[in-house]
Amino acid sequence: MSDWEPKIIAFLCNSCSYGAADLAGVGRMQYPANIRVIRIPCAGRMSPKFVLSALREGADGVWVSG
Amino acid sequence: MDKCIACGACTAKCPKKVVNEFDGRLSKRKAVYVDYAQAVPLKYAIDDSQCFFLTKGKCKKCETVCPTGAINYDDTAQDLSINVGAVIFSSGCKPYDPSTHDVYGYNSSKNIVTSLEFERILSSSGPFGGHLVRPSDNKEPKKIAWLQCVGSRDVHIGAKGYCSSVCCTYAVKEAMLAKEHAKNGLDAAVFYMDIRTHGKEFEQYYNRAKDEFGVRFVKSKITNIVPTEDGNQLLRYIDESGNLAEEEFDIVVLSVGLEVGQSAIKLADKLGTKLDKYNFVSTSSFSPVSTTKPGVYTCGAIEAPKDIPSSVIEASASAGSAGSALSESRWTLTKTKETPSELDIRGERPRIGVFICCCGTNIAGVVDVPGVVEYVKDLPYVTFSDQGLFSCSQDALNNLAATIEKQKLNRVVVAACTPKTHEPLFQETLGTTGLNKYVFEMVNIRNQCSWVHKDNHELATEKAKDLVRMAVEKVALMGPLKEVELEINQTALVIGGGIAGLQSAKTLSEQGYHAHIIEREERLGGKGLSIHETWMGENVAENVDQLITAVENDDNIEVHKASEIKHVDGFVGNFTTTIQSSDATVDIEHGVTIIASGANELKPDQYLYSEDDRVMTGLELDRKIITGDASIEDTQTVVFIQCVGSRIPERPYCSKVCCTHSIKNALTLKKGKPDMEIYILYRDMRTYGLREDLYREAREKGIKFLRYNFTKGIEVDYDGDDLQVDFTDTVMRRKMSIRPDMLVLATAIIPPQKNPLAQMYKVTLNNDGFFMEAHAKLRPVDCSTDGVFLCGLSHGPKPIDESVSQAIAAATRAVTLLARKTISISGTVAEVNPKDCSECGGCVSICPYSAPSLIEESARFFPGRAQINPALCKGCGLCVASCRSGAIRLHGFDNDQILSQIAAISE
Amino acid sequence: MTLEKIGAVMVVGGGITGMQAALDAANTGYYVYLVERSPSIGGLMAQLDKTFPTNDCAM
Repeated sequence: MSDWEPKIIAFLCNSCSYGAADLAGVGRMQYPANIRVIRIPCAGRMSPKFVLSALREGADGVWVSG
Repeated sequence: MDKCIACGACTAKCPKKVVNEFDGRLSKRKAVYVDYAQAVPLKYAIDDSQCFFLTKGKCKKCETVCPTGAINYDDTAQDLSINVGAVIFSSGCKPYDPSTHDVYGYNSSKNIVTSLEFERILSSSGPFGGHLVRPSDNKEPKKIAWLQCVGSRDVHIGAKGYCSSVCCTYAVKEAMLAKEHAKNGLDAAVFYMDIRTHGKEFEQYYNRAKDEFGVRFVKSKITNIVPTEDGNQLLRYIDESGNLAEEEFDIVVLSVGLEVGQSAIKLADKLGTKLDKYNFVSTSSFSPVSTTKPGVYTCGAIEAPKDIPSSVIEASASAGSAGSALSESRWTLTKTKETPSELDIRGERPRIGVFICCCGTNIAGVVDVPGVVEYVKDLPYVTFSDQGLFSCSQDALNNLAATIEKQKLNRVVVAACTPKTHEPLFQETLGTTGLNKYVFEMVNIRNQCSWVHKDNHELATEKAKDLVRMAVEKVALMGPLKEVELEINQTALVIGGGIAGLQSAKTLSEQGYHAHIIEREERLGGKGLSIHETWMGENVAENVDQLITAVENDDNIEVHKASEIKHVDGFVGNFTTTIQSSDATVDIEHGVTIIASGANELKPDQYLYSEDDRVMTGLELDRKIITGDASIEDTQTVVFIQCVGSRIPERPYCSKVCCTHSIKNALTLKKGKPDMEIYILYRDMRTYGLREDLYREAREKGIKFLRYNFTKGIEVDYDGDDLQVDFTDTVMRRKMSIRPDMLVLATAIIPPQKNPLAQMYKVTLNNDGFFMEAHAKLRPVDCSTDGVFLCGLSHGPKPIDESVSQAIAAATRAVTLLARKTISISGTVAEVNPKDCSECGGCVSICPYSAPSLIEESARFFPGRAQINPALCKGCGLCVASCRSGAIRLHGFDNDQILSQIAAISE
Repeated sequence: MTLEKIGAVMVVGGGITGMQAALDAANTGYYVYLVERSPSIGGLMAQLDKTFPTNDCAM
């Protein structure tokens, strides 16, 4: 179990969190590589369908940020 | 410079360290450097005064590591001759340097910093990574003091007599942010003469600092600072009652003012513009951005110390004034890009091209780019994949276009840096081949992959593959989107015929546009008709008359007096406003709207106002001065009461103009009758910027300024027939009485109680009832509703010069729309399928932009169902998420497109 | 000979004010030369951490 790494799907708002993730890169901040980002225009676009679908497709966690 | 890809290899190798001016004295940078990570252009520069090779002829380390061969040691300054029709002088100010006349020990203590250095301490990209520490020993501070007016409001050698206008509010901000940063509690104290938070909503910010954050504000005069053995600073000061006091602080922040730099002074000389005694560019209240030299305009802090919103307003105004002067040459020198007509790819099987960028070693140094290219080849519909050293370079873009045509690609994926900066560039390239710009996806494998996982090449490569796969799945489902082109009606509507409204209509006309002015009253001029002189001493009536005459004789301007707005329809580019006068109802079609509807002077219900003729408001005194009222001659003692109806719990804002207005009137009275006794009862004197000179003059002329205790209040009553004003003086700390034979109340500027315009044009009001701008700093004259602009008192209290600037700015911002003639609406908009709509109205109520509406009941098709106006839709997708019937889709971020990305998270 | 006005504007100084003036002049139909002494535009505002009263990032 100790090697287990969760797979996380992140839905990031294009006008804020997505830009923040870019800046984390500019600042060369290091974080684990098990996150997959899906860019959405606004957190308001988020739908429960996406969360359920992500979990069904094998995601261990879903992160919505906006 | 074109070759630099901002990888930073040169900086990493450069052996020479120098003081980083960007962080004040707090950090070092290399001789080859970029100011900060988000710099524009993001290109490294060599500091020729520091570079080992350029100064000593040896080193060239950066040249050897630069992957693109961008280093050019032979680059030298060149003289260029450029012909232009107008010049905008916007050199700004620099912070006052406390080291030249070092009265506080700034040079000898690391823990005495300037406010700009403190900004860098707070900044997460600053020298301490945003950790609040004491510079001498990196310990967390317990107590920080801010000293106001360092180098400002001071006539001693080296300092400046004016008020720098911004320091009070930035000190309030820094104190609040410092408290937020400090994990273990922090005592923050601001030592001040007057707190000048006169900008829009700044007073509420100051109140929050006091009441919610517990920042201490100490009215005082600093005598000196003594460093202690443990690195603290002992602050000695005289408090408000004249007693000596002292207190120790870990850090002392000097709130330094703004001053004009030597290079700007030289530049002004070259441009031939006149400077005032403080070296600010001379302007006038009614032409606030015109210099003394025709064709040269100015804006920002080079004109007078000012904050960001005022600077940005003036920036638009100066561009507009330049535009007014050159309007016959509009669009003669600009360049237009040619694009071919669009290819029809409907019904074609997807042919996806995937281009993976190495970004030098930025991506390829971590991600196995050839591996990703190979991997991609087996993904569905991918017909081509390749890598590029720098996909954004001009030759790579040419290659991209050629490949699209050669391989007949109809979908494109670029995996490189971030779409936030580079998507438009690639989309433009797609456009040059005739492909629709929406059959494109960008994958962020630099900022969100190689840069953040640089120690794990394998996982980073795996992540890059996943992200590309997800994008390929999505792009297969993308189709061309239409960007609707809307014609913009070339007429403007200006609401309000006061100074701001008149000026903005005049500017629009000068730029060649037709404008309507709607004025509720029978005559134009607004509040300008009641003011005697500006703070600079210009006659207001004469200037307003000139403005009215110019507007009334202008064929481009139609004036509608005694008219009210009844109804508004439409949106940016196509408004219809119905106005009603006593004899007619008229529909005006217009493309843009400028709101200049003004505000009023409060008529108070206290201090015997309206009961006694000797009690009047500030503007009523102006009236008496203008008409030469005989009662002035008989007046011996005058009392002005400041902040009547402003800065109180039910009206927390500062009305900005009243301090200067009272002083101006007091000086006028004193000039007419030098033995007149004049008292001004105040809370904080807010003669900001260059107005400070008036305050000094008033004190020199014997006008007495008494600071009253606000909590104890002021009583105005009769003593026999005489008026008696009772208050508690904060210096003497005792009750005082004055018996004036004239009492002037500096009352608040108040917005209308009910403001139907807000509803009609779908613009918001702030808590105080003034119109709200789209962004407090960067869009100070735009409304959040497209095509609606703001100026004058309806936006917030301000003096005439600022109203005029804002009026020119509002007209200019309106022209940026009008000049385009059409607007194209982004293709990423929501659309309703009316067949599925359940008519619940959820989308109508949830949309922040009022884009959805219900189709009229009388319509032939789909009455009652929802529809979305693409011109208003911003593509946020809120309606899509809220639609319980699944009737709405968002083009470009459709359910199936996002679900296909999700489905592709695992192979 | 009538002199035609040149439809170009030079903005001297690339701080927040100069940038806004340049954008507005360009968007109202004039060719703009933005002249800045230092290697990057942004001026004093780029050095600030946050701005009042909203505490937005100054960048």
